[in-house]
Amino acid sequence: MTAAGESVSCPTCGQPVWPDDNFCEACSTDLAPAVTSGDSSQPATRQCPNCAGTSITPEGYCESCGRKLPAGNDHVELELDLVAGVTDKGLRHSRNEDAMALATTQSKAGPVALAVVCDGVSTSSHPDEASQAASQAAVQVLLAAVRGGSDLGVSSVGAVKAAQKALAELADSARLHANAPSATFVSAVVTAEQVTVCWLGDSRAYWIDADGPATSRQLTVDDSIAAELVARGLSEAEAMALPQAHVVTGWIGADAGDAQPHVTVFDPQGAGAVLLCSDGLWNYQSDVAGLAEMALPDAVRDPLRAAATLVKFAIESGGSDNVTVVLIPFPPGTRTRPGDTSVIAATDLGDPR
Amino acid sequence: MSQSDFTVEIFQNEYLTAGAREVNSIVTVTAPDDLARATDATTGRAEAIIIDCSGSMDYPHAKIVQARAATQAALDVVRDGVAFAVIAGTEVARPVFPNDGSLVIASPQTRQAAKQVVGNLRPGGGTAMGSWLRLARQMLTSGSAGLRHAILLTDGKNEHEAPEQLTTAISECDGVFSCDCRGVGTDWQVAELRRISTALLGTVDIVPDPSGLTADFEAMMATAMGKAVADVALRVWTPQSAELQFVKQVAPTVDDLTGRRTQSGPQAGDYPTGAWGGGESRDYHVCVQVNAAAVGQEMLASRISLIVGGQVQGQGLVRAVWTDDEALSTRINANVAHYTGQAELAQAIQDGLEARKQGDEEIATAKLGRAVALAQESGNEDTARLLAKVVDVVDAATGTVRLKKKIDDADEMALDTRSTKTVRTRK
Repeated sequence: MTAAGESVSCPTCGQPVWPDDNFCEACSTDLAPAVTSGDSSQPATRQCPNCAGTSITPEGYCESCGRKLPAGNDHVELELDLVAGVTDKGLRHSRNEDAMALATTQSKAGPVALAVVCDGVSTSSHPDEASQAASQAAVQVLLAAVRGGSDLGVSSVGAVKAAQKALAELADSARLHANAPSATFVSAVVTAEQVTVCWLGDSRAYWIDADGPATSRQLTVDDSIAAELVARGLSEAEAMALPQAHVVTGWIGADAGDAQPHVTVFDPQGAGAVLLCSDGLWNYQSDVAGLAEMALPDAVRDPLRAAATLVKFAIESGGSDNVTVVLIPFPPGTRTRPGDTSVIAATDLGDPR
Repeated sequence: MSQSDFTVEIFQNEYLTAGAREVNSIVTVTAPDDLARATDATTGRAEAIIIDCSGSMDYPHAKIVQARAATQAALDVVRDGVAFAVIAGTEVARPVFPNDGSLVIASPQTRQAAKQVVGNLRPGGGTAMGSWLRLARQMLTSGSAGLRHAILLTDGKNEHEAPEQLTTAISECDGVFSCDCRGVGTDWQVAELRRISTALLGTVDIVPDPSGLTADFEAMMATAMGKAVADVALRVWTPQSAELQFVKQVAPTVDDLTGRRTQSGPQAGDYPTGAWGGGESRDYHVCVQVNAAAVGQEMLASRISLIVGGQVQGQGLVRAVWTDDEALSTRINANVAHYTGQAELAQAIQDGLEARKQGDEEIATAKLGRAVALAQESGNEDTARLLAKVVDVVDAATGTVRLKKKIDDADEMALDTRSTKTVRTRK
């Protein structure tokens, strides 16, 4: 492996490392760790965004004006330089039950970006913890697979299994077998040649072609009653109008039964971006052409901005659900340098609406 | 010795439509069953019985005879070790037992001695309740007891002192002892006794027939003996710039505590609830007006805690969440609806009876009709039965009634005094 660029220092031990090293040779620190929307640490002193009060009750209310302070994951923006994502709790829900995990790493074939989006099933127990645990477990498996040169399709199924296991452990620790924590799942691994998408449930992946809406397409087929009805000949509009349309028929969780994840591999012919999202986005725009129109051209050159645009669109359309959007430009650009990882946990929100 | 805490439960619909400001909640406070064990059940308790000995108590003679018997029966319920006193009330107050204005510790001997003195009480003189209360205050505070309680029995109006003397006496006794008031016969005034019992956190009731006094006195004294802690307060915290609309006890009776607030912090006030017995449970309706926040925002609209002996015991949070989902915001909490109805029921009865006294039959009929409908709807059968003695019910569901031509004074007064009794919801 040839080292590109100049050496920099390991953030842990200070020894020199190369920009395309995954680990520090001296202390084994992961130089490009995965980042997730759930681990934005709370600052030691919190301030009420409404009245600037600093006395906060143990339940998270301002002791002065009574406002509930935003939770750490109410609105989170994550950006690595090959991938970016935004998640927001929306307007109707009291907490964010979506989660995302992003990573960039180096393979023999060059830089790779990967992401996982999970949407906790609201009717299950602790859906917010479920989506976080699942996305964190899965991203570690994918990251190890890329670094180890494993088959990415097989590894994606392995990532779903790891997410399943994390939810089973969550159910055990909280004794929640009656209403097991569960979530939907979608992942994408984007290498210089190929996009590998894996999903279970109704979180989606789309290919946003840099050339425009005409060559963009949806990469996933929902595990939902609506999708099954469409497969049997109903129009999408007719299917979505049914009260049961949003019932998912596949998910991860201790009670998921034998639902199998789906994998699709796709070789893009030119530049573009992979869009991962929860139904909080596609409820308001499920058509790929409409999504591409909003996302381009930022999707390819400024994925964070494109993700923010789509999240803002969902909130302004009603924000009836949590919404998460991740964009991974193709082909993956230059390698993230150690220390470049930036995590923006927007706990200091005023009121963006 | 450790003891469990009071529990505070909140019942509300926290969802508000955009721009809405009023947050209603029902707060159920329950004392732990082992509360009595934590208090020394005998020391620290003082009881006074105030017997009206005005001349009218001799007409009919049964009044004084039954009042003496009821007092003797109540003394038998006073537990050994409890400090007690008996007061005879006329235009002045006279310490009957002990006769030096102090307290005596209950024992078989002292109870016997007191009963003998009570048996010799003779009516003669006027009525000055303010002076009775003042003497009770003096006697009840002559020892070190923390749980202080009095029973006041009268058969007439407060005629032999200026009204302001009673007002002053009530405020002097507020927070010093609790007082249950009873009127025997029908020549006393409900409003006058209610003023005393409300301020002194006790009950008020009519005993139309003197023969009912003994059972009533025994029951009152037994309840008093069951009280384990005094001076329990409901502390209500509200957000800055919020306005507390009201704090009402709504079960077992309606009692508006709004005006009884004592500021206990920059954003908190304490409301007195008096003495509590083990396992006792009461409901409160708290209504607060907050500044509306944006849809999707959540606010702590109030925090309700219980202050027992200066310590916080138990806490409940009242929340407000603004939503544009009408299915959520239009849902009315069943407990809030029920007690709003019970409070309206009490008010309709009092307004209706007042209108009838003023000779306004139209308003009286409308108000009492509304009361009949509310009592029927909420399953408050006791109140419905009392109402049926004052009005002829044509259709309870719609509240169609006719005022009875002739109403027994005792029935009217019973309806008035018991108008505040509520029924609880099934939670």
